[in-house]
Amino acid sequence: MTKRKLALAAAALVIAAVAAVLALGTSPGSAKSDAAYKVAFIYVGPHNDGGWSQAHEDGRLYVQKALGSKVQTTYKENIAVGAQFAQTVASLVSQGYQMIFATSYGYVTPQIAAKYPNVKFEQATGTLVSKNVSEYFGRAEDTVFLSGMAAGAAAKCNTIGYVVAYPIPEVIRHANAFALGAQTTHPGIKVKLVWTNSWFDPAKEKKAAQSLHGAGACVLGQNVDSPATGQYAESVHVPWVGYDSNSAKFAPKSWLTASVYDWGPYYLKRVKAAMAGTWKPGFYYGSINDGFTKLAAYGPGVSAATKAAIAAKEKAIEKGSFYEFTGPLYDQSGKLRVPKGTRMQVLKGGTNSLYGMNWLVKGVIGSPKG
Amino acid sequence: MRFTVERRLRQPRWLTFAVPVGSLVFAFLVAALVLLATGHDPASSYRQLFDAAFLSKGSLDQTLIAATPLAFTGLAAAAAFRMRIFNIGAEGQLYMGAITGAAAGLYLGGRGGPSAFVIAAMVVMGCLGGAVWAAIPGVFRAFFGASEILTSLMLNYVAAQILTYLIFESESYWRQTKGFNATVFPTGKPLPPSALWPGLSVHAQGGITLPLGAGFALLTAVVLWVLYRRTRFGFEVQVLGDSLGAARYAGVRTRRKVLAVMAISGAIAGLGGVSQVGDFAHAVDGDPNGLQKQAYGYSGIVVAALGRYNPFAVVVIAFLIGGLDNAGNTLQGASFPSGLVGVIQGIILFCALGGELLVRHRVRLVRRAGTPAVAAAPETAP
Repeated sequence: MTKRKLALAAAALVIAAVAAVLALGTSPGSAKSDAAYKVAFIYVGPHNDGGWSQAHEDGRLYVQKALGSKVQTTYKENIAVGAQFAQTVASLVSQGYQMIFATSYGYVTPQIAAKYPNVKFEQATGTLVSKNVSEYFGRAEDTVFLSGMAAGAAAKCNTIGYVVAYPIPEVIRHANAFALGAQTTHPGIKVKLVWTNSWFDPAKEKKAAQSLHGAGACVLGQNVDSPATGQYAESVHVPWVGYDSNSAKFAPKSWLTASVYDWGPYYLKRVKAAMAGTWKPGFYYGSINDGFTKLAAYGPGVSAATKAAIAAKEKAIEKGSFYEFTGPLYDQSGKLRVPKGTRMQVLKGGTNSLYGMNWLVKGVIGSPKG
Repeated sequence: MRFTVERRLRQPRWLTFAVPVGSLVFAFLVAALVLLATGHDPASSYRQLFDAAFLSKGSLDQTLIAATPLAFTGLAAAAAFRMRIFNIGAEGQLYMGAITGAAAGLYLGGRGGPSAFVIAAMVVMGCLGGAVWAAIPGVFRAFFGASEILTSLMLNYVAAQILTYLIFESESYWRQTKGFNATVFPTGKPLPPSALWPGLSVHAQGGITLPLGAGFALLTAVVLWVLYRRTRFGFEVQVLGDSLGAARYAGVRTRRKVLAVMAISGAIAGLGGVSQVGDFAHAVDGDPNGLQKQAYGYSGIVVAALGRYNPFAVVVIAFLIGGLDNAGNTLQGASFPSGLVGVIQGIILFCALGGELLVRHRVRLVRRAGTPAVAAAPETAP
């Protein structure tokens, strides 16, 4: 009996203590910046993934630095599509966030956009433009093409391995651009794909790289978010082309280059517009010309001749005298898909548009269905 | 001196409440040390956590979304684990339920059947999908003695591949193929309006929607409780769980029971799958970065264990864990790494589960010499 009372008393005491701590606790973060405009960024992977999400995080920091105390920014990382995204948005809205950059397609649905009509959504890589949803992305295909040239030139065999995420048009067009680039510096070279079905999964990406190397690839490239492929390439002394961010530090010897994004200026422009009340939904597609996409600094394995060839092509792309998705373009079976002289457009043209491309160009080994 | 852990001869009633409360308090104290060590104010972190889970505007609405699937997978695990059938496959059974239930919704809803009929058909088909998927390891266990732990676990990966295949790698019945958006990124075909599950709106906290699935979960808990406590079937299942030999000797048809329990467990998980489709996603979510990343099936095992396999307790625990899950999204951010959120959640779950040991056992200080009066129990660890 006494033992029982003692235990109950002890439990009650501890509960009271915890309650007291909770009640006394102040939340210093909430009061300080009510005047600041609150902007949130949502990432599919960790903010320091060394790739896609890291590039967006750099963009967030750019905005925060430029606007200082006038904005309050935060990020949410490793957020799944669906229920978790909805929960995250609900909590951000209840904390007063007025603008949300959802940095992956599949996040914002028409239902969520309609549920929060006063929140400005910006979604990367999609097409869902509506009253309070903007979409943004850019011509990475141009710079991926240029990075493919570096890969082709570095290849001493006839196969390049390319680690890819999902079998969707975005990834398919990058794989195609990469292969077309490699073929200009190394005619007849094959690009072999392995799908991981995930944007960020270092373990799967490493396995994919391993299997590609095992299948005879002497250069590796990627359209996934982590530098796992590069770390593997470094361990087997094979050249590597990255994606999204400059991740030379993960594979200093293997690093060739990568197509990278500079999201910061776009983010700053949109946040400023939202703060000034001039924000309008739209579809932004950046390019080399406005600095949205570029080629990262070269690694030691890129020869002077290759650098010159890439520089010449880059100039031509800038001037508009060259575009990699100009016909004639043939698919894997050798069938003519894009007739001579036709330039592929971003949204128009069904499966012959950048956003609808569901076929792989000649010389790519793998299925466009995953 | 040394510590021994020994079985309690009596289990006082108050312990069943004091132990979880004590475990939680202990967990919050340990987590507070971690928070302090990483330079965060524990009091304000905890306050944010509770606010985000249960108190702030709209928080209960989101917590219910996280809790509903956990209630189903928790009940699925509880239904099987009670009989010592370790169905680890609720994850895959949930996917299968989502697929078959959505098929019923898309097909019948598309033909303009009345909503109640369409929803009833979705429920039946969802349960069936989960039950059949669970019956596969059930058959292997009942007739060939294969461990259901391994087979049901492996089938989760198979089910995940099927789910992704249907939406991402084929132009199946479940995939949206119309419109340009559908080519940009693969999505499930949206359910027709009559197949959407209605929610009950409560005017509190700025509007809370009680999903129909949450109601089904409660109903499932009642049915499970009656089935296991008030029927011959339930009694036989419990005997089987305690001693296979004794059950056989008493004339219980063990193979049928194993199959039945697996099917019931799978049906509950499958119902959780249709609830995902009907209540929340309104289409089959085949994105590996979506439903599959939530891992509701695996979390359900923790929910069931914390609820001590009692259906009503499982529902309550699912609600609490749903809150914890929901709060995690609020807590993480630029100044609070998501890894730390995981550590805090892990400490809470670990302590709560670990504390369960103290319900049935007690820790005793034993003096090494000269204390013959305190006889160690036979189970004492050396």
